[in-house]
Amino acid sequence: MLQIQNLSKDMGEFVLRNVTLDIQQGEYLVIIGPTGAGKTILLETIAGIYPPDSGTIILDGKDITGLPPKERNICVVYQDYMLFPHLTVEDNIGFGLVSKKMPKDEIKKRVTDAAKLLSIDQLLHRYPDTLSGGEQQRAAIARAIVMEPVLLLLDEPLSALDGQTREMLRKELRRLHKLFNITIVHVTHNFEEVFALADRVAVMNGGDIIQCGPPDEVFRKPNCAFIANFTSVENIFRGVCTSQDGASEIQVNGLTITSSTCKGNGEVYATVRPEDILLSREPIQSSARNSFKGTITDIVNNGMVIRVTIDTGIPFVSVLTRQGFDCMDLKEGEGLYLTFKASAVHIF
Amino acid sequence: MNAIITNLKNSWLKYATIGISGLLAAFIVTLLVLVVTRPTLEGLITSITSSEIHFAIMLSLVTALVSTVLCIVIGVPAAYALARYSFRGKNVVNAVLDMPLALPPLVAGLGLLLLFGTTGFGLGLADIGIEFVFTPLGIIAAQFFVNIPFMLRIMRSTFESINPRYEYVAKTLGCSDIQALWRVTLPMSSSGLLAGSVITLAKGIGEFGAALLLAGAIKWKTETLPIALFLNMSCGNLDMAISAATILIIISITALYVFERYGGASRF
Repeated sequence: MLQIQNLSKDMGEFVLRNVTLDIQQGEYLVIIGPTGAGKTILLETIAGIYPPDSGTIILDGKDITGLPPKERNICVVYQDYMLFPHLTVEDNIGFGLVSKKMPKDEIKKRVTDAAKLLSIDQLLHRYPDTLSGGEQQRAAIARAIVMEPVLLLLDEPLSALDGQTREMLRKELRRLHKLFNITIVHVTHNFEEVFALADRVAVMNGGDIIQCGPPDEVFRKPNCAFIANFTSVENIFRGVCTSQDGASEIQVNGLTITSSTCKGNGEVYATVRPEDILLSREPIQSSARNSFKGTITDIVNNGMVIRVTIDTGIPFVSVLTRQGFDCMDLKEGEGLYLTFKASAVHIF
Repeated sequence: MNAIITNLKNSWLKYATIGISGLLAAFIVTLLVLVVTRPTLEGLITSITSSEIHFAIMLSLVTALVSTVLCIVIGVPAAYALARYSFRGKNVVNAVLDMPLALPPLVAGLGLLLLFGTTGFGLGLADIGIEFVFTPLGIIAAQFFVNIPFMLRIMRSTFESINPRYEYVAKTLGCSDIQALWRVTLPMSSSGLLAGSVITLAKGIGEFGAALLLAGAIKWKTETLPIALFLNMSCGNLDMAISAATILIIISITALYVFERYGGASRF
């Protein structure tokens, strides 16, 4: 649907270096990377704000590299909303429709519909600076959605919001994506957003996309040390979740992991922090709901802590302090039990 | 113990500096009051309602309005370029555009006089009837030249304070570059534009030096308020001079008020 080929742009402080990226129709692509990786400039180049130094952007088979933004039908939502302060919420949402010279009553109808969709229809007459962050971002999303863009670009849309609002808007984005089957490129540095939203994730660093694929693949099989360090998320499992009695059971490669959080049924990602996994030679009788037997496949000495990888059918990583490691006298190839509480399992 | 606390409370520096600022304010107020209270109220009213002062007020207002509009039409686009784009020689252009600020108005007036009075460009304009030397048009040109840096600086800092991403969003919502400027950036800079206009208008009404050299001090022709003050003062007509001064004071106070009230975000 969108093909970016060898796109380069040098803005001094921020650069793009030979970015090549294919985005599918209806896909939710999340781009993640450290500050200064060139994520925002990539979005803005796709939107047509800057002409690239070289490379091409092809949208639905048409070369749009030199097209001005207004002819692309690509909308952008920024982290700090960028609602026009001199216009009411209603006029903000209708801004693009006015550009399209749509009749007034049609604009009013579409603006109201979009506002209802994002539950801000009671705020239409207000000015942006009287709204909370979450409300402002809803208005900004409505302003983009109402244009029915072929591609929606989100630049850290949730980063300025507090935890609860962020969670709600994240669900909202997921719902809108499903509802309109709209193609979305979402830039973030938040891993939860990757797992909650992404069909595919692209990791960006130094102006280039260094790995792109389904989240579990990228996070579990990073293709370079940078991604491994940057992500540093371990024990990520993709599985099928069934909820019962306020807890969830996740089937991962024949293993059943129990979690005390509940996110409904279906495909989920589950993570366990390495320091939450307890290792023992014998099975432990305890209140912890998860206990598996496995074999040590790898021991890495990091100085302060020792990282032990145990294969139980799926690989778990656990960390031990030096004293704990010396005490247990672990060796590669040995059998071991690992135990962790249901509350230590996080589900996305 | 008590003595120490008293010393802390009575900071020498604090009282000295407050005293200086208070004296300065009193000095300025004294000057203004002296001017306004010098003639009798009756004499002042007679002068203010005289046809000469009326002419001066009208000429000042009209020339200042026209030069302010010119400052907007030329200063706003230039300020936008300086705020938004980077181009070769930008620093030099910035410095040169600020020059008239530091230049004595008499020097500016001399330059304008030479341009319009001696060069082919000026003489050519005069030939087709656009005459600047010793005409009200000259007053407008002088006001424009002296005031354009104020408009530029205020609008430049106003545009710089507006995140360019507002325009980016507008462009993705179907605006061309110019439409984004017109529908988003200009409305967002309205308070800066108001502040800049008020300053150029007030300074235009009071413009003397450059206007004197280019347009001369001709009674009933190029007699703006400050020129009226100057002419009447030189022939000892104190009441007329002071009534012109009083009106200039009122205009300054009003302009200052509007500027402080609405131009809070702009610095120059």
